[in-house]
Amino acid sequence: MAESTTPAPGSPDQFTPLHSEREIHALTRPSLSYWQDAWVRLKSNTRALISLYLVLGLLAFTVIGPMIWTVDPSAQDVDQVSRPPGADRAARVVEPYKPWDGSVAVVDGERLQLADTPTNQAVRLIWPAAPGAESYWIYRNILPVDENSAKGLPLIELFGNGTTHFEDRLDLAPRIYYYTLVALDGTGVPVHRETLAVDVKRVVTVEEAVGRGLADSAEDLLVSDVVHLALHPLGTDYLGRDMLARLMHGARVSLFIGIFAPLLYVLVGVIYGSAAGFVGGQTDQAMMRFADFVVALPFLLFMILFKIAFGIGPGESGVMPMLVAMVVLLWPSTSRLVRGQILQIREEGYISASRLLGARAGYLILRHMIPNTMGVILVTVTFAIPSAIFTEAFLSFIGMGVAPPTPSWGSMCNDGIKTMLTTPHELIFPALLISITVLAFNLLGDGMRDALDARMRSTE
Amino acid sequence: MTKHTPANQDSFTSSAGRQLLAFGAASIAGVIVLMMALSWASSLTSTGSISTDAVDVTNNTLTLFLREEPPQLNSSLSTDTVSGSVLGHVMEGLLRYDEHNRLAPGIAERWEINEDGALFHLRPDARWSDGKSLTAHDFVFAWQVALDPKTASEYSFILYPVKNAEAINKGELPLSDIGARAIDDRTLEVTFERPIAYFDKLVAFSTYYPIRQDFYESTDGSYGSDAHTLLYNGPFVISRWVHGANLLMEKNPEYWDLDRAKVDKLDFAYITSDASATLNLFKDDKIAYATLQAENLNNAMEQGWDIFRFMDGSVFYIEFNHRPERPTRNLNLRKAMLYAQDSAELVFKVTKLPGYLPGVSLFPVWLQGVNTFFRQEYPAPRAQLNLEKARYHLELAKQELGVEEIPPLVLLTGDNPISNIQSEYYQQIFSKNLGLDLKIDKQIFKQRLAKMLSGDFDLVLAGWGPDYDDPLTFADLFASFNLNNRGRYENPEFDKWVRVAQSSQDVQERMDAFGEIQQILFDDVVIIPNYERGITYVTHPQMRGMVRRAVGPDPDFTNAYIVE
Repeated sequence: MAESTTPAPGSPDQFTPLHSEREIHALTRPSLSYWQDAWVRLKSNTRALISLYLVLGLLAFTVIGPMIWTVDPSAQDVDQVSRPPGADRAARVVEPYKPWDGSVAVVDGERLQLADTPTNQAVRLIWPAAPGAESYWIYRNILPVDENSAKGLPLIELFGNGTTHFEDRLDLAPRIYYYTLVALDGTGVPVHRETLAVDVKRVVTVEEAVGRGLADSAEDLLVSDVVHLALHPLGTDYLGRDMLARLMHGARVSLFIGIFAPLLYVLVGVIYGSAAGFVGGQTDQAMMRFADFVVALPFLLFMILFKIAFGIGPGESGVMPMLVAMVVLLWPSTSRLVRGQILQIREEGYISASRLLGARAGYLILRHMIPNTMGVILVTVTFAIPSAIFTEAFLSFIGMGVAPPTPSWGSMCNDGIKTMLTTPHELIFPALLISITVLAFNLLGDGMRDALDARMRSTE
Repeated sequence: MTKHTPANQDSFTSSAGRQLLAFGAASIAGVIVLMMALSWASSLTSTGSISTDAVDVTNNTLTLFLREEPPQLNSSLSTDTVSGSVLGHVMEGLLRYDEHNRLAPGIAERWEINEDGALFHLRPDARWSDGKSLTAHDFVFAWQVALDPKTASEYSFILYPVKNAEAINKGELPLSDIGARAIDDRTLEVTFERPIAYFDKLVAFSTYYPIRQDFYESTDGSYGSDAHTLLYNGPFVISRWVHGANLLMEKNPEYWDLDRAKVDKLDFAYITSDASATLNLFKDDKIAYATLQAENLNNAMEQGWDIFRFMDGSVFYIEFNHRPERPTRNLNLRKAMLYAQDSAELVFKVTKLPGYLPGVSLFPVWLQGVNTFFRQEYPAPRAQLNLEKARYHLELAKQELGVEEIPPLVLLTGDNPISNIQSEYYQQIFSKNLGLDLKIDKQIFKQRLAKMLSGDFDLVLAGWGPDYDDPLTFADLFASFNLNNRGRYENPEFDKWVRVAQSSQDVQERMDAFGEIQQILFDDVVIIPNYERGITYVTHPQMRGMVRRAVGPDPDFTNAYIVE
């Protein structure tokens, strides 16, 4: 019987205790509150974060913008009407405009010619009387004209053979124009036609330059100096008003309505909905039917009624009735949502426990119910903001909103759409801002819905 | 088992693909069928307009548009230019305007006018569109209808030169006392209330058009409300009128001068006032002419279209409210505003349309004077932009009104692109130059007229188009007895000169009176002239002979013809 040195299986010698690994169970991160966690998750959502910055940027654009860019949004710069961004602004200083009687210093008398330097103030044409002519037509084109092509804009018809000069002052821009003179005989048959290319230069008078703040005083300016017309970074509209300043001031109206109206009507909706949901029963039924009734009221009609009831006269801003109409008519959707949530929460165990412990209704609503519906409420607000901005833009677009000269993005779109094909910047900028704002608020709302959903709390 | 799996998967995906394909094909086919069905259905409902080209050579038809649904085709009630244009094609008065805008014989082939009255000899071959003869009685009846207080025609005043007309219109005399008598079927005798120098021009106006009694009474008050409740005597008849959508005119076979109308049909296939819509229709060769707005001018030049221009004869101005309770009653305030603005800047820099002339006077440039144009013989006094003078008058106005600041003024304006720009321009100009606060009250045409009538404004952007070819059509506007004097301007001196112009037979004396009126309008700043309107338009190169006119039906396609 051989004695084995190997310990018998199961003996305690075969077991060595592992070293303790207590640190595994230690918490790897500090405890996060609901709001901190929501913020962390919002930060990890790139789209929502960009939207948040955009919204903050818009607020800065609206609030701080007008302090930096102090141009009056209703000031008309008639020298630069419908000017796209980045247009040339150099202008030569000239003598004030004087009416012209057709006299000219030197005439060579052979053909259609200029009587004076062509400027955007006036182009003065003079020509010899054509034999047999009974009337003259002057045309202007922006494209070169030959014998067969269209002559362009008919500027004037001069009767009789006596008048052989014409002064064009109509909306002259610094560019090359092609003037065509057509002489007609008594029966309307052309007897003579010729075309002159005219290179128009931009000018400004001393008085205009000082009046528009381009120079400090008249003494500083000499005729033939070059000044630069007022800068309009985003161009001007159909009355020469600065687009950037108008967009900034327009944003005030748009964002005021866009933020205040939803805040107010969501607040009304929350109070109404939570009351209905909490009380329940017959009261709930009655309150919700009333909400259904409000939903059925036509918004536009009430908007007009409020405008009349408020005594908003002609030429006064319709922003306040718009705000009131929105608050009075748009709360039911929020109240329904909140009521549903409250009905659900009311039956939860912790509510019953709290009730057993003697909590009163006010405490239950404020401490337990509202915080638990906060996610839904915030999301409603962020989705209500873009829709309110849209409503304002729409109402201003159809002329129910702001009164001129106050701009709003919607009314600017309305003005811009008329000249969409020729000067698209007047429509594009406000439309772009509306789109960006609405998209930013929507994406932010989307991100907030994800971030505030308690069931999606970070578990890692 | 395992080796079958890929095959199974294959057959599964391919069958799913087939299903998807079949579903897609079915849905596309369904959509196509639906679209064809809808297109067929829509072709059933639309009442024609098969011709797709603006100028249809084979059917000798022109396709055109109307700016709006003609509001009133009853010639005794009609007031607006669209109705006037339509009526000008389908009706004819004693006299009419021809293609050179000269007065020409219409239903009357000869006439004599003297101090006491006029005698019109009607054509024997003048007929109504139902083939019955047109007689002098039809004119007498039409004028009685227009003067009947029950008709309440806004244009009844234009008949006042006829003896007893004013009294009849006020209900003081019976209709039968009218100073117009049918001596026989072919002869119409008119007696004047007082001597009148321009009666031949008046009878071309639509209120003077004939109406046949039996037909008028058979329509039971709906005369002119539809194509079949109107009897025609002009070169065209309305053969189809779909309200708000389109209107078709066909040549009138009963018209006395069958050669006058060159085309067989005028199809007003669109009724729209949207300038960009009409321009697009023109671009697509759907209509034969279109009006241009300032923003389309460059586009039109790039398209190489032939562009036309014409002065429609109307004058636009800021009218003040002269009622006692209004601050604008103060002459110095009005003067301040006059010197604080420059109509040339408005026209050349803001409205930017060729054909607009900066406003200087209530009398437009085309009015005839004694020998040449009125404005050449009587140059209008001009106010140059002068801010010092303007502010001086503003200070005087503040003292006289006893206020620190002028209260906000209401600027009543119409709802169209030009009025919008103009009102915002003036709002800024008066705010910048005088510190005045203007509230813009934008109203549709009808509402604006109602507010003008009730005096619910301080300033209004108003305009006036001529009814007949005489300076008086403008001159009597601000007479205290004229209902169209919406600002209630009252000046006995002004009224005196209007009376002179109305009753004098002497051209020189009348023109002198108009000169005095022009001076009073300037001295009293009754209005601030803004512009004389011009219209810039494009026409189809194959359409010729379209007539535009300041006085009379405009546009007029009666003489239009198609070239190949």
